[in-house]
Amino acid sequence: MTDPNTWVDAYGTRLFRYALSRVRDESSAEDLIQDTFLTALKSRDRFKGDSSELTWMTGILRNKIFEFYRRQAKDVPLLPSDEESDPQNEFFDGRHWSASSAPRDWGGEPARKAETAEFSAALRRCLDALSENVARAFILREMEGLAPKDAAEALGVPPGHLAVLLYRARLRLRRCLERSHFAPEAA
Amino acid sequence: MSLLPSCREVSRLLSEALDSGRPLGLHVRIHLGVCEVCRRVLAQFALIRHGAARAPEGGPDLSPEAKARLRRSLDGR
Ligand SMILES: [Zn+2]
Repeated sequence: MTDPNTWVDAYGTRLFRYALSRVRDESSAEDLIQDTFLTALKSRDRFKGDSSELTWMTGILRNKIFEFYRRQAKDVPLLPSDEESDPQNEFFDGRHWSASSAPRDWGGEPARKAETAEFSAALRRCLDALSENVARAFILREMEGLAPKDAAEALGVPPGHLAVLLYRARLRLRRCLERSHFAPEAA
Repeated sequence: MSLLPSCREVSRLLSEALDSGRPLGLHVRIHLGVCEVCRRVLAQFALIRHGAARAPEGGPDLSPEAKARLRRSLDGR
């Protein structure tokens, strides 16, 4: 294990970005990595070296982030507006896609466009535009890869509601990513 | 009320199928057979999942002030 005095320079920014993209607030992100470093320091003898130090610390950080979500879910109940608004009316006109929201063709090789740094930046901006719970549902399920049951538990919502949050996230991210990344309208 | 699901219904079922891992029902598959837009949505939802799982971390650097605060907190132990 490397000297803890080198950790901040070696891993600080990587862990900070990881935390910031998941909690969207710099001071909470900093608290989480401080907590992560302190936990890593205390449990240094449990580091086996079968993964990199960064991977090991990222694992600690992930658990801190899930705890942070759980704490907030307990303290701050879901906003009624978040529950009540039916986002589907933004996207549909009766049974069909509305003319302004109908998904467009993303052109050739969209899969390659989904693996670039530009995609990551666009995804972060689009996630920032979502309400907190909708963004967190997507982060837990699609970026952290949690099973639906575990993601629902971390957010303190019933599994059926997680499905609603994920659907909203996918509809909104789809449209946002289309406009900002995959198929921006010709200027 | 049509027997076949609408685009509104199908897009929701596509999202649910991504989470349940269960195969799409017959009515949804029939709809996809005739609706290019919903086929596109299915491919795009899957692509967003693919990209999100692999997205490299970007974002701001940790500021020098924050680094100093973190060093102090590690030193104190
Ligand atoms: Zn359709």
